[in-house]
Amino acid sequence: MADYRQMWTDLEMDLEKHDLLCEALPDAFGGIYLSQENRPQGMDFFDFVVAEIHGVRPAELIEHQQKGGKVFGTFCVYVPDEVIFAAGAISTGLCGGSQFWVPGGEKVLPTNTCPLIKASVGARLDKTCPFFRIADMYVGETTCDGKKKAWEILASDVPMHIIDIPQMKRAKDIDGFAEEIKEFIKVVEDFTGNKVTAQVLGESIKLINNKRKALQRLYATRKAALVPISGKDALLVTQIAFYDDPTRNAQMVNKLCDELEERIARKDGVFPENAKRILITGTPMAIPNWKLHHIVETAGAVVVVEELCTGTRYFENLVDESATTLDAQVRALAERYMKTNCACFTPNPGRIDDIIRLVRDYKADGVIDYNLQFCGLYSTESYLIKQALDAQGIPLLHIETDYSEQDFEQLRTRVEAFLEMLGK
Amino acid sequence: MIVAGVDVGSISTKVAVLTPEKITYKMAPTGWSPRETGLATYQGLLQELGHSEDDVDFVVGTGYGRISLPFVSKAITEITCHARGAAHLVNDSTMVIDIGGQDSKIIKIDQKGKVLDFVMNDKCAAGTGRFLQMIAAALGLDVAELSELSRGKTPLTLNSMCAVFAESEVIGLLAAGRDKGEIVAGLHQSIARRIASMAQRMGKAARITFTGGVARNEGLCSCLREVLGAEIIVPAECQLAGALGAALLARDYLS
Amino acid sequence: MGDERCYAKSLCRHSKRKGEVRLRPALLESFQEIRDKNMLTFKEAKERGVKVAGIYCGYCPRELVLAAGAIPVGLCGTREEPIAAAEKDLPRNLCPLIKSSYGFAATDTCPYFHFSDLIIGETTCDGKKKMFELLGKIKPVHVMNLPQIPDRESSLKLWHDELQRLQKVIEESFAVEISEEALREAIHQTNEELRVRKELLDLNRNKPALISGMDLLMTTFQVGFNADHKEGVVMMERLIAQVKEMAAQGHQVGDEKTPRILLTGTPVGMGSEKIVSLVEECGGLVVAMQNCSGYTCTQFMVDENDQRDPLMILAEKYLSIPCSVMTPNPGRLALLEQMIKDFQIDGVIDLTWQACHTFNVESFNVSELVKNKLGLPFIQIETDYSNSDRETLRVRIEAFLEMI
Repeated sequence: MADYRQMWTDLEMDLEKHDLLCEALPDAFGGIYLSQENRPQGMDFFDFVVAEIHGVRPAELIEHQQKGGKVFGTFCVYVPDEVIFAAGAISTGLCGGSQFWVPGGEKVLPTNTCPLIKASVGARLDKTCPFFRIADMYVGETTCDGKKKAWEILASDVPMHIIDIPQMKRAKDIDGFAEEIKEFIKVVEDFTGNKVTAQVLGESIKLINNKRKALQRLYATRKAALVPISGKDALLVTQIAFYDDPTRNAQMVNKLCDELEERIARKDGVFPENAKRILITGTPMAIPNWKLHHIVETAGAVVVVEELCTGTRYFENLVDESATTLDAQVRALAERYMKTNCACFTPNPGRIDDIIRLVRDYKADGVIDYNLQFCGLYSTESYLIKQALDAQGIPLLHIETDYSEQDFEQLRTRVEAFLEMLGK
Repeated sequence: MIVAGVDVGSISTKVAVLTPEKITYKMAPTGWSPRETGLATYQGLLQELGHSEDDVDFVVGTGYGRISLPFVSKAITEITCHARGAAHLVNDSTMVIDIGGQDSKIIKIDQKGKVLDFVMNDKCAAGTGRFLQMIAAALGLDVAELSELSRGKTPLTLNSMCAVFAESEVIGLLAAGRDKGEIVAGLHQSIARRIASMAQRMGKAARITFTGGVARNEGLCSCLREVLGAEIIVPAECQLAGALGAALLARDYLS
Repeated sequence: MGDERCYAKSLCRHSKRKGEVRLRPALLESFQEIRDKNMLTFKEAKERGVKVAGIYCGYCPRELVLAAGAIPVGLCGTREEPIAAAEKDLPRNLCPLIKSSYGFAATDTCPYFHFSDLIIGETTCDGKKKMFELLGKIKPVHVMNLPQIPDRESSLKLWHDELQRLQKVIEESFAVEISEEALREAIHQTNEELRVRKELLDLNRNKPALISGMDLLMTTFQVGFNADHKEGVVMMERLIAQVKEMAAQGHQVGDEKTPRILLTGTPVGMGSEKIVSLVEECGGLVVAMQNCSGYTCTQFMVDENDQRDPLMILAEKYLSIPCSVMTPNPGRLALLEQMIKDFQIDGVIDLTWQACHTFNVESFNVSELVKNKLGLPFIQIETDYSNSDRETLRVRIEAFLEMI
């Protein structure tokens, strides 16, 4: 990584601790990513972003702040980024994907909280994530018990706004979410001093939609019989989309897609045609959580699609761009976001439909239901997923794990046995 | 055609060699070096049979040590191997319960021993061979004595499934002057319940094959029979099912 | 029933406490029979065509059930036995209350679940919310969408809508119409119940205490199984009179020096009373409980002269319950602080059922209040319904009482 020490010092980060993280990341990334063969050239940009993850983008965010702009840190795909960008502010994802941050979180949170939440809180409290240091305001949501209560601890020294996510999806709940978006607009306007008009919101809707369309295009290439990109690489691209500038991100993803489409045309795949095709569903995988993909792909199978927040849930649905009044735009946003099927909703049959549809579209041979430990929502819903997939005759493996490496070999055995079960 | 299966488990290493005439087995404690034990046991058995390594057409390695064996032609997980081996040993069984040294697994299989579905214990020792070993040690017993001691005893309720806590719970019960046989009977019951709750996730089975070293424990078998309401069959070669399955898969692979 | 057997066991341990000979109010006996006696009453009522609504949570507006001429009843979920059966379908690391509730239902061993025509649930916590989806395969379940940020104006509006919807669901499934008059009468009746409950729990503001925590828990737990809620009110009133009479004659529980413990956190009932019984076996007294099975809900009586839409009044009432599922949840801390003063508390135990994330995380705030602001001994205990850690807990609780 280039030298960003001055910037990190200015951000009052814990440099000593942060150095440990900076030392570990290249090895982990090298072992998991750079060891892959025949990688698309377009991945160079994303490799660069990861290598400089705590440097390049944070520097841009600070530059934006120096020009008087605001930065909002978000945790979840239910936060309408469109509103933030419409007010001339920037939305960025926050850290939370590594075991490195977990002990810091466990200082204030119960050990049996999900690793994603513990890591986020740890990254914040240990001052080892520049994005947490930079963000002028955090935007939380009431998606799950753990996050909902963790906000109360995080909110102690940075302004925090919490969006009340309805727990059901009836018409009145969509109305309720529209109200929440209106309230959020007010909060963002007050905080940035910029008005969110129908015009800027319209532009912003297009901006974010374009990013989504690029990711849709990327995922479409993975439907090919000879997959032109590994699941690991595709996951990385999606993960980076949470941090990067939306315009540039769409550009770089589209550029990558040009190459991938060419590869499909000349039948140049990164896995043999008979490699087993796996769909992964479940809880999100934040950078640098590549554990399961690594296990699956080093066992000879390929991950062809992720029904995850760091996957199809992030970009599958677009916001209707035809609305011209603020009210209608808010409505369109509410409708789009309420289409996302997270296990925090009850009931949540849409997710099961999604999984079955994706299995067909991507010709997946099997599904791995991935649960971060202590996420009661997804692990309870697993029962219903199993029933539904059994009924369809789709093989399923349920895995519950955390960020640590200690169960790596055990998971490998399970995944390999699952692949053996899928047959020749 | 000669094929072999080498199952390097956490506690013991098992080798099966399949010639057109017969199946032969050899077992040894794994010890600290899975790689060396695997090789030594394999070579030892071949020597007894008057064969050399070159005579063997295909070797499948399995068990947790499978990746450290340089001489195998192919590594296959113990789940697939146990299923294949169990189906060969017992007819008409649709489920295999295998309790090994460091994990327990429930495998749903078809007639040919192909895996249809499976579950494994989480990353803890509860309900494994190691768990029984630890508790036996806390009681000052050998694992082999557990079954006999619990015969006809009313099980005490044990609550801890964590190996470490169960050990202290057992010590507490001993201190309270409870009968060892009742404690062991309780231990069997709690393991059987744990296994049953995993097995029930796989649906019902009328005939279940029980493999792995722990299957030798008749006390636990009868608990499982009761809790699952199914016929539990323990083949004489219960500890060898993995090695046998590996050898059979080696043969399948060649043909 | 298992309840009584277990209770009797803990009682005898309890009465042996430090060799003390203590007279227990004779009326307590009558409470111990409620759960069994009422099973028959329910059966008879059902045969007469009376409807029963099973509920799991303090957020359920039971007034609407009462106003429909139906019986609201709390369902079983405080015992260990059915948990193994529940783990067949539910993940193991889910809170024991949820697993027990589901297990009772799935094994058809809760007579009250069995009698229920409709189950009313709410989206309080992750586990319950998802468990209701599985429960819906056994019985008709209606789930209310509970907003999570109580002080927002839109939350009250949403919650009011939910009450309207519940009213419609009850009217349709029980084929009745709920009149405003019936609803106001139900509000009155519920108020009465809360008033008496509070009066009973307030007895222990007295120092030394007048009634043990185990007795209070048994009484308030059992009285919830009454088919006739008015009867429960009368029973509690009589008990209060008797305790007061005994106090006048000099009968107390413990003395000036007995450590007075406040139990806060997740709900407890018979079968999951282990912390209360351990505290009292170790020579302390649980004089107050700030949880939804204890004091918390008794705070929310309704002004009966308020002529506004009764559903709005109820929406306000229920949305003010300070459960940890809400964010932020300053109401709980305020109530705790008040109770610590009112009940002259010496130490606070925060009980978290394993895998209950909201109470578990909120314990951080509770500890800040009790330890740092009020300077009182505080301990958080995370456990489940099993007795496996009973002896370890005993050591912790004894040490905690020694701190006082």
